[in-house]
Amino acid sequence: MGLRLKILSGFLILTMMLAVAGIWSIYELTTMGTSVQRLFDDNYKSINAGKTMIEALEREDSAVLLLLSGKWEQGRSIIESADEVFHKGFAIAQSNVTIPGEPAYVEEIDTRYKRYKDLWVKPIVDTSKQGNLDWYFQEAHQAFQDVKGSVEKLVALNDQTMYQTASDLKNRAHRAIMPGIVAILAALIFTVIFNFLINYYVVSPIISTTKGIQRFMETGELPPIQVETEDELFHLVSSIQRLVAEARTAEAQE
Amino acid sequence: MRPQIILRYAGLVLLFNALFLLISCIISAVKADSAFFPLLYTALISSLFGIFPLIFVPPTTKITNKEGFIIVVLSWILSCLVGVIPYIMWGGEFSFTNAWFESVSGFTTTGSSILTDIEALPLGLLFWRSATHWIGGIGIIIFVLAVLPSMGKPGMILYRAEMSSLAADNFRYRTQKTLQILVVIYVGLTLLETISLLLCGMSIFDAVTHSFATIATGGFSPKNLSVGYYKSAAVEVVIIVFMILSGIHFGILFAALTGKITDLWKSSIVRYYLAALTTGVIAVTLSLHGSQLHSWADALRSAAFQVLSIGTSTGFATTDSSIWPPFAQLVMIFFTLQCACAGSTSGGIKADRIVLFWKAIVKRIKKIQHPAAVIMVKMDTVAVEDDVVEVNILFISFYIGIVFLSGLILTALGVDILSAFSGSAATMGNVGPGFGMVGSMSNFSQIPALGKWVLTATMLLGRLEIFGLIIFFAAKSWR
Repeated sequence: MGLRLKILSGFLILTMMLAVAGIWSIYELTTMGTSVQRLFDDNYKSINAGKTMIEALEREDSAVLLLLSGKWEQGRSIIESADEVFHKGFAIAQSNVTIPGEPAYVEEIDTRYKRYKDLWVKPIVDTSKQGNLDWYFQEAHQAFQDVKGSVEKLVALNDQTMYQTASDLKNRAHRAIMPGIVAILAALIFTVIFNFLINYYVVSPIISTTKGIQRFMETGELPPIQVETEDELFHLVSSIQRLVAEARTAEAQE
Repeated sequence: MRPQIILRYAGLVLLFNALFLLISCIISAVKADSAFFPLLYTALISSLFGIFPLIFVPPTTKITNKEGFIIVVLSWILSCLVGVIPYIMWGGEFSFTNAWFESVSGFTTTGSSILTDIEALPLGLLFWRSATHWIGGIGIIIFVLAVLPSMGKPGMILYRAEMSSLAADNFRYRTQKTLQILVVIYVGLTLLETISLLLCGMSIFDAVTHSFATIATGGFSPKNLSVGYYKSAAVEVVIIVFMILSGIHFGILFAALTGKITDLWKSSIVRYYLAALTTGVIAVTLSLHGSQLHSWADALRSAAFQVLSIGTSTGFATTDSSIWPPFAQLVMIFFTLQCACAGSTSGGIKADRIVLFWKAIVKRIKKIQHPAAVIMVKMDTVAVEDDVVEVNILFISFYIGIVFLSGLILTALGVDILSAFSGSAATMGNVGPGFGMVGSMSNFSQIPALGKWVLTATMLLGRLEIFGLIIFFAAKSWR
């Protein structure tokens, strides 16, 4: 192999090590960006929606107590506005189903909420239910706990996935940095090896050839010059040795 | 010494590593796991570093013994460094110290692990982890059967410990053809075990990785419960057979496989090795029966697997031997120190040296009885020189000394005495598990970082037969 190719191969290898590491780091960083977006879109929205639903449910529970105590107007106004808030939260959760197992939880919330709503949508004030704490604890509050439990399960699922995604992000950040570190260290070691080989196979033969020619000019003797490789330097030394031999022959003939 | 020649041939080893990295990478790609890029990039770096000296340095057939020795030791250290890269790039439980520990443990065929959840690793990385054992195993065969014997010259006198009657035959393994035969045996045994394990119902991945670990007497399993995961007597029997075979001198194994089966029994070392293992199994079975296991069959099964696993320096496990009675644990510690035969992939002091040691003691006793008698220490029919006996005793003393020193450092770092000393002996002997918190069902993750570095040093010291590493780093000895 020629000198030009040998030197070129060294630079190509160096470039390849750094380029591949760079490309991969960019890829990992891009994926990280997507993961962060997904973390926000998929999980954070659902968690927020869950919190909204729980807050609304708690307000509804308080409103049911107001209705039980006969405060129809106050109770009705709170319960209706809370119902609206709940539906908003539920709509967000429903439209943001992204995790395996999430649809089942959303469906469960829907079913349980309908059952709960059935209890308080019917008149309470001026009926047998007014002041009936047994009815409240056995039916209304129980139904409220059921819906709240389902919403909490949805929040927990999203929380868990968010934690996993965050851990994955940490790993991705590590994987984005590591190729760079490895490439820099590898490039440093490679440069040392490259330098050694260039020095041994290129620079040293050139120096010994130069010294040989100088010695020939001073003493008329060309010392043996060692070139281990069969490249341009080998041909150069062969040519010099031939030239010296021909010069000696010509000198002898004269 | 010509560094360029060393670079060229150490580069070939890197290319060999790159091949296995590429296979691991393909597995990763097929399984679409997260280790794909770490493996691919390491394969790339390893192959580029391997190819580059080939471009510059012309081939040569004239390699001196010293250059050959440096090539092997350097290849080992370079392989360990390359092995670190996929682990550290992948992350998880791998800090640099942990990655270095796992890599050195793999290449030296020790099998000690820092992983608390092995099964969390992607398949590609698990394959690479097992492949490090297999690559290290081939390295040991070449090192012990080709390089070490060539060092039995002035200036390398310490290596003459290896020149027992058995290892003296190593000189005839120096030809390239014989090396090829040894590699064929190594590959053949691996294939044979893989097929046997497949027939026992293992998946192809598990069969290959367990075969890699068995033939190299390594011990890395892709399962958290090691071989115990399979709960299969057939799997255990297959692994036991191949562990025993892998612990025998590969030269004798070659002779046996090519028809001279009696060579196996003619060798006093093999006879001692098999007798010691049998005695160990019986002793541990008796100790386990009643105290730990109520059935004789269960006691024998557990004892046979664990004793043979430790006695061949493999390190697989089917049960937690840390909770065994003290007597059984002491028997296991003896095998942790002794291990199997020289000329195999096994670590430890080796059966050869133990036999020579006892013969030297017997000689000394006879000499006391008959001061004027001329008594020779003989291995089979060959007389062993006194300086070889002396070096042998020196080696054993040095070995125990290093185990003690390493254990001492670990205890200074806060590790309990049982874990420290058994862990040191297990890493020095390239066995794998010790007792206490580094037991057969535990790992080395709880050892402090400095302790892990000490243990990797003992792994390398044990693998390179102590003097190998000392000579490598002692520049004066090369002059």
